[in-house]
Amino acid sequence: MFITLLKKELFVELRNKEVILSMLAFGLTVLLIFSFSLSGNPKINHEMAPGLFWTLVVLSSSLGLHRLFGQEKDFDAFASLLSAPIDRGTLFLAKWISGFLFLFLIEILIVLPFFLFLGLSQPMSYFPGIGIVMLGNLGIVAVGVIVSGMAMRAKMSAVLLPVLLFPLLTPLLIACVKATTGWYHLIPFSNWQFWVLIMATYVVIFGLAGYVFFEHITEE
Amino acid sequence: MSFLFQERFLRILFIVSVILMAVNLYAIFFIAPMVPEQHWAQKIFYVHVPIAWSSFLSYFIVMVSGILFFIKKDSYWDRVGLAAAEIGTLFVALVLITGPIWATPIWGKPWIWEPRLTTTLILFLIYIGYFMLRKFGGHPERVARYAAILGILAFLDVPLIFYSVKFWAPQYQLHPQVEMNQQPDEILLPFFFSMFTFTILYILMLRIRVKISNFQYKLKTKNV
Repeated sequence: MFITLLKKELFVELRNKEVILSMLAFGLTVLLIFSFSLSGNPKINHEMAPGLFWTLVVLSSSLGLHRLFGQEKDFDAFASLLSAPIDRGTLFLAKWISGFLFLFLIEILIVLPFFLFLGLSQPMSYFPGIGIVMLGNLGIVAVGVIVSGMAMRAKMSAVLLPVLLFPLLTPLLIACVKATTGWYHLIPFSNWQFWVLIMATYVVIFGLAGYVFFEHITEE
Repeated sequence: MSFLFQERFLRILFIVSVILMAVNLYAIFFIAPMVPEQHWAQKIFYVHVPIAWSSFLSYFIVMVSGILFFIKKDSYWDRVGLAAAEIGTLFVALVLITGPIWATPIWGKPWIWEPRLTTTLILFLIYIGYFMLRKFGGHPERVARYAAILGILAFLDVPLIFYSVKFWAPQYQLHPQVEMNQQPDEILLPFFFSMFTFTILYILMLRIRVKISNFQYKLKTKNV
C-alpha cells in the first residue's frame, strides 16, 4: 500500500509540478537576494555557506510543504482518500518520503547555482555532504508533514505553517548547519558526530510522532 | 466573579496564596541576605527561578493533558491543556523579562544566546504558534486534537533544543550553575519558600482558568 501511495504522490506531482516548481522558483529567488545582500567576498561566503544553504532549504521547503496537501485541499480529495481502508500511518510515510524526494530534487537543482553565485569552492568529497543533506531533509519533511497537515484546513494556513514549523525545526537546523560546517570545512568527523546524532534522534522522534499522530491530524 | 469562589477548595487556596505571597515578598526583601557581588540584582533570582520552574511545570501539564485527551477522549483535558498553555506562556514571558533584568548588570548585556534562555525563547515562539493554531485552526474539535499533538511535540523538542543550543554556543554557559547544597540556609530557605509559593499560585491560577473554561464550555453546549 505504501508503494501505491508513494506512486500516487509522485505521479500527481509529476503531472502538475506544483510543489517542485514553487520550491525551485522561490529557492532561486532567495539565492539571488543572498548574492546581492552579501559582501561578495568569497572567503566570507565560504564561512557562511552552510548556514546560507540551510536557510535556503528551510525557506524553500516551507513553501513546498504548504502545497504538499494542496491538491487534496483544492479538489476536496482528502475525504475520498481517508474513506479508503488505508492505515493513516502509511499515508504519513508516503507524504514524508515523497516530500523528502521533492526537497532532495530541489537541492540537486539548486546546489550548482548556489556554489556559482556565491563564488564557493567545491567540497573535497561529496558523499558525507549528501548524507547530511538527506538526514536533514528527512527531519524537515517529517515535522513539515505534521504541521502542514494541521495547517491544511486552517484559516491563514500560509502564515500558520512557518510560524509553527520554524521554532520546532530549531534544534535540527542548528545540527544541520554544524554538521555541514564540519564536512565542508574539513573538520575531523569526531568533532561533529554529535550533530549527526542530534539529527538522527530528531528524525526518529518526529518520524515516529508523525506515524502515530497522523490519524488524529487527518481525522475530519 | 463570585461563582469562582463558590468552591471551598478555591477559597482556601486563594487565601493561602495571598498570605504565602506576602510572606514571600517580605522574606525576599528583608530576610534573604545580599550577595556581595550582585547586590539587589540577585533578589530577582527568588522570583525568576520559581517562575521558570512553574512555566516548565505548566508545559509538562500541557503534554500530559494532550496524552490524556487522546486516551480518555474527553474535552475536559483539552481545557486543562489550554489553561496550562496560557499560564505557562504568561510565566515564560515573565522569565524572558526578569532574565534580562538580572543579566544587564551581571553579564553587562541583556541578552546572550545561553542554552536555558534560548530554549525558553524557542518554547515561547512554539506556543505563539500554538495559540495561532487555536485561533485560526478551524473546527474546535479538530483544533483540540491539533493542540494536544503540538503540546506533546513541543515538550519532546525541549531536550533537543537545550542540547543543540548548549553545544552550538559552548562559550555562552553563563547561567549561574548554582550548587544548591553549598548555599547557606539564609539563601536556601527563602528560595525554597518562594518555589513553594509560586507553585501554589500556579495551582490556584490553573484551577481558576479551568473553572472558567468549564463554565464557558457549559454555556456553549447549553448545559447551564
